[in-house]
Amino acid sequence: MFVQQLINGLMLGSTYSLIALGYTLVLGLLEMLNIAHGDVFMFGAFLGLTLAMFGAPLYVAVIAALLGAGILSVIIERSCFRPLRKAHFLGPLLSTIAFGILLQNLATQIWGSEPLRYPQTTEIAQFRLGPVQISSIQVIILATSLLLMMGIDLFARKTRMGRAMRATSENQINASLLGIDVNRVITFTFFASGALAGVAGVLTALVYLQITPFIGIRQGLIGMVAMVIGGLGNLRGAMIGGIMIGIIEVMNDAYLTASYRDMIIFGLFFAFLVFKPEGLFGTTERRA
Amino acid sequence: MSEKQVGPYGLTTTQEEGDAMESRARMMIALLCVMGLGLLTAGELRAQAIAGKEVRIGAALCITGHGANVGKREAIGAQAAVDVINAEGGVNGVPLKLFIEDTASNPQEAVNVVRKLTADHKVLAIVGPHYSSEAEATFPLGNQLKIVQICVASSKPGLSAANRPYAFRNTLTEDKIGDAVVKAFKKRYNIKKAAIMTDIKDAVSKSVGTVVLPEAFKANGIEVITGTDPVTFQTNDTQFTAQITKLKAMNPDGVGLGALGPDALNIITEARRQGMTQPFMGTAPLMEGEVPQKGGKAVEGTFSGTIWDRSDDSPKSQKFKAAYEKAWQKLYTGEFTKLPDYYAVNAYDAVFMIAEAIKKKGVTNKPEDLQKDRERIMEYFSTLRTFDGVASKGFNEVGDGIKDVQVYEIKGGMWVAVKD
Repeated sequence: MFVQQLINGLMLGSTYSLIALGYTLVLGLLEMLNIAHGDVFMFGAFLGLTLAMFGAPLYVAVIAALLGAGILSVIIERSCFRPLRKAHFLGPLLSTIAFGILLQNLATQIWGSEPLRYPQTTEIAQFRLGPVQISSIQVIILATSLLLMMGIDLFARKTRMGRAMRATSENQINASLLGIDVNRVITFTFFASGALAGVAGVLTALVYLQITPFIGIRQGLIGMVAMVIGGLGNLRGAMIGGIMIGIIEVMNDAYLTASYRDMIIFGLFFAFLVFKPEGLFGTTERRA
Repeated sequence: MSEKQVGPYGLTTTQEEGDAMESRARMMIALLCVMGLGLLTAGELRAQAIAGKEVRIGAALCITGHGANVGKREAIGAQAAVDVINAEGGVNGVPLKLFIEDTASNPQEAVNVVRKLTADHKVLAIVGPHYSSEAEATFPLGNQLKIVQICVASSKPGLSAANRPYAFRNTLTEDKIGDAVVKAFKKRYNIKKAAIMTDIKDAVSKSVGTVVLPEAFKANGIEVITGTDPVTFQTNDTQFTAQITKLKAMNPDGVGLGALGPDALNIITEARRQGMTQPFMGTAPLMEGEVPQKGGKAVEGTFSGTIWDRSDDSPKSQKFKAAYEKAWQKLYTGEFTKLPDYYAVNAYDAVFMIAEAIKKKGVTNKPEDLQKDRERIMEYFSTLRTFDGVASKGFNEVGDGIKDVQVYEIKGGMWVAVKD
């Protein structure tokens, strides 16, 4: 049963990782939190759900959520970050809070506040691996999120755009002097961040069975906790931090009482902030 | 003249006529006369008993606060009953008037409200309050003020018994429902060992999962695998993978849920997803929130029970539902008050009981008789065992409701009554 629970935790945690990655991308680049990120995630989930309700297969829903949430994230950059670059450093943070609330209300208007359920488009198959049983949905969730995580990691290290992203995050002025189109890099990074959240939204809707316009609030917070535990601005740290929280959450429900869950997770968050603010894997080099 | 005597009712008689036979005949006549007079006065009572232009009834319900939705539904139920009675000519021709006062889901405010209804609005009896915590404060007050309260939701054991004679609760405690469902569940699925999964945040679900179900299982000879340590979750949790993996490993014959409908829906769906095929059961809270309609194939065969469900289509229920809808439009329109629950039925029946008491006990509704009238209503309720309501039969000797439990199962996307 322990191995089975470990897989449950891995599955839940991988959706947290995708959200944490999105935060980390933006934070690494602009040293700024996008508080509306959790709501971008929620929007992606609803987008995928709407398509699925019209009978679209899962991969279409995932791609649509990826594109839709990516574009939404770019809109956030254009409306909350770019016009406020010269403003007080808290400006973008506060404006994204407002944007998030806006998104929640918009979603309530479009989809209502009653929980919506993901339609069962495919028959769920069960696979047996020794004592462990894995369902096709679990495989899809795990495979998609692991693939995306590896993709982002490779992208940031190996591609031209990835190098430009890292250069920009080290020093924007130097990067632009070296011929990097900083605005383009920022736009792209926001798109990637939103796209990850969108996919996470659809996958979470699959794990969670149902979604509401307010699902992004806790999810966003957990993503932040994962990022802090993994190390601010550290992509691999965010992935591992997310998976860790997923496993902690599941193990708590399995072996302790449900009411301890948030106490443990947010207690850990607090402990890391106070005693190990650089996280498990260290914070990436910051600008002076 | 001296030998003439004046008998009963002015019949004159003489000493000479006083032999045994005649005396017996006179007795008979006298008795008949008394009876006739009695009938006459009774007839007069029925025709003229109710004074005034309205009969006042109070409702002390939580219109705001954390019980706002259910409190509003109860108020709508009570108003629906008033409307039905008035449309049929009121109580002996005098219309009922309902005074709804808000307890704000708060015991202190409930006390104020009961005082206000009693002293200011001068109502004959009060429907409410909703919560046990409110009733704990207002029941003793009711005895002090000598006014009947009919609580429509509180199910804490012993509360009415401790507050005789004016406290009544038109509710059934969850343990009676739990026992009936467990019996039917065991019979259908041949359950020998069961596991329990419970909400530890929602108070009613928690008591179902930690007290009601363990006792009901044991009383019916079913082994509780989870012992005193049920699998736990919290209201509105988003995923249940860990809990279901744990339940599955225990391999029970069936699972008892202390859960509200929306959570139960997700729990059962997750169980099917992880390949669990065992049946689930719960009590009244599980029947809230369209579990059969939303759950599809996964929730088929789930058992639950309640004293009344919207799917009930007896003539009395249909009349109630139609009246509820009209009162809903008049009183508190909104998504969360649209559909009646069994609490609304309890309030609806409570008003009918009060109207019945007024008719049967010769309540005068005169201002000077107010105290006497309230006492008459109390007397009527203390012996009421065979009322014919939508889901109410009266009160037992300690003032708690007498009701039938109906066990339901999910069949074809609906709650269907379990026959036999």
